[in-house]
Amino acid sequence: MKNSLKTLVAALALCASSATIAAEPIKIGVSGPFTGGSAPMGVSMRDGVKLAAAEINRSGGILGRQIELIERDDQADNSRGIQVTQELINREHVVAALGFINTGVSLAAQRFYQEAKIPVINNVATGSIVTKQFLPPQYPDNYVFRTSANDTIQSAMIVNDAIVKRKFTKVAILADSTNYGQLGREDLEKALAAKGIKPVAEEKFNIKDVDMTAQLLKAKAAGAQAILTYGIGPELAQIANGMEKLGWKVPMIGSWTLSMGNFIDNAGKNGEGARMPQTFIQEPNTPKRKAFITAYQQAYKVDRIPSPVSAAQGYDSMYLLAAAIKQAGSTDGPKIRQALENLRTPVVGVVTTYNHPYTHDNHEAITMNMTVMGEVKDGRVVYADEADLAGPKQVKPHSKK
Amino acid sequence: MQIFAQLIVSGISLGMIYAVIAFGYQLTFATSRTLNFGQGEALMLGALVGLTLVGHMNYWLMIPLVLIFGALQGVVVERVAVRPALKNKSEFGWIMGTIALATIFKNVAENIWGRDDLKFPSPLPESPLTFHGIHVLPMEIVVVIGALGMMLAVEIFNRKSIYGKAVVATSNDRDAAGLMGINTRMVITFSYALSSMTAAFAGVLIAPLTLTGATMGVVLGLKAFSVAIIGGLNSGMGVIVGGLLLGIAETTTGFYLSTGYKDVPGLVLLLLVLAIKPAGLFGKTVINKV
Repeated sequence: MKNSLKTLVAALALCASSATIAAEPIKIGVSGPFTGGSAPMGVSMRDGVKLAAAEINRSGGILGRQIELIERDDQADNSRGIQVTQELINREHVVAALGFINTGVSLAAQRFYQEAKIPVINNVATGSIVTKQFLPPQYPDNYVFRTSANDTIQSAMIVNDAIVKRKFTKVAILADSTNYGQLGREDLEKALAAKGIKPVAEEKFNIKDVDMTAQLLKAKAAGAQAILTYGIGPELAQIANGMEKLGWKVPMIGSWTLSMGNFIDNAGKNGEGARMPQTFIQEPNTPKRKAFITAYQQAYKVDRIPSPVSAAQGYDSMYLLAAAIKQAGSTDGPKIRQALENLRTPVVGVVTTYNHPYTHDNHEAITMNMTVMGEVKDGRVVYADEADLAGPKQVKPHSKK
Repeated sequence: MQIFAQLIVSGISLGMIYAVIAFGYQLTFATSRTLNFGQGEALMLGALVGLTLVGHMNYWLMIPLVLIFGALQGVVVERVAVRPALKNKSEFGWIMGTIALATIFKNVAENIWGRDDLKFPSPLPESPLTFHGIHVLPMEIVVVIGALGMMLAVEIFNRKSIYGKAVVATSNDRDAAGLMGINTRMVITFSYALSSMTAAFAGVLIAPLTLTGATMGVVLGLKAFSVAIIGGLNSGMGVIVGGLLLGIAETTTGFYLSTGYKDVPGLVLLLLVLAIKPAGLFGKTVINKV
């Protein structure tokens, strides 16, 4: 009897240990620029993802397994992005991936996920074509998803603020000469055309330009009442400072990068009043947002989140992925994709409560009504519209087209 | 007309930024026929060291310290990257040497100050002065005066002091100067110190106008290089005229033609100068006797 009890205990112990061996962690790739000019976005995104993964792991993980994040720095560089993507797929064998801050890197590297049938959620890159790179009929299934507001949404919001809300009729576009700036400029032109407006001036500038006199004088000479921008923080600050220098001050309305810390800090008082579309503003107006902001501040010892939008979208992307893996009951790529496209239970996120966010043909989680306009005030981004302060609006699920 | 005047004024202040950096190329070329391709990085280091110091002291007090730092940095460049090449009579060693050092300086700066662009607090009011509808920032005037003053100071030093005469003698004929008992090696080291000092000075002058960061020197250094070529590598007048030409060409082309093409006229000018007058607009043509 005694002996058989011993055997039983031994057998149980063996079972337990083999169970822990079986429950090896679920590997998820996280890539973005953690150094360089885009680092505030990349680091905030990564920290948001880490926060969500830690919460999920504390409550038991997914399918009884823990999440293991494999982080890689793509340095906002296309070829580096391709390298780390291949490494995540072939060496680390990740089951899914989160990341991509820069539209260019995303367009260059995400095809490897598509080919490997591994779902990837772009949580910051905004280029309109990011989710439209692999469409039927060439690609029956698309493995690219997104949790950020794409440039089509953003340019429509910018134009809405300038033309509909503030009744400007003459606007100038200032965009940088990168892929990001020029694709954004095209989206802005389309959105303006939809309102029957043609920009009075369209000017270009290069990364690291120190003088914006010519661009601003052209806009001024054309009688622009507002400047619509598509660029990144440092050069946007030069535009704001250049306007001050010319003694010509018109409102700046532009893509969400006007919320970057390096714009706000370098433009100082000249950047006050700049407006941009935001999916999340660091304001605890829902219980989930309050919990998220507190957790972020405590975990990373900061007051102002470097890029609140990136942090929130990163956090939400992790929860959406976790929900899909749970629903799929498997870490098989195609099954996770199917689950993402047909999420049965709503996922409570920081940006919104995701109610059936994706379908087979629609891989954009963010719709226009989840996005608000933010405004730079006293060195922080606040709600431009008091009404939005009350909290996110009720969001309807996608109509299945 | 007012717009044209504004473009010229902005072009002048931009051009003087280029000129003051180009001046540094000239100083070392005169004595050793070598250039520091890390001139942009010397400027960047000066600006970042200035930014750190300005947190603890007054802007104007910080400048002498930055000048000392710049001079020391120049000595390092000369000793590490240029002297070995000169010693071995290597024609191109110094090119790779100075480029390699420049990259190292940039990486070091990225690790110390981060890779983001930082704001340099302006010592003067940041609101513009207005003359007949033309706007100028007080700091832009300081850049123009500072740049001209510095070039003048170096010129006077070269003409009047005994050390300056040694520099001039070395640039005229290094071998002859050596035979006359001038320590030409010392003079070359000195010219590198002076060159990096002017770059560091330019850095703290322009930093309140541009943004300050590890990558700020790359584009500026390159544009200043074309200014030095356009103006002539051995003419002080040349860099001023070259700088102004390039600066004004950029702002006026941007306005009258297209901002997408604003860098083109400067480059066309560079190509023309190289084709027609390779020594530069104000350069003396050197006849190589074989």
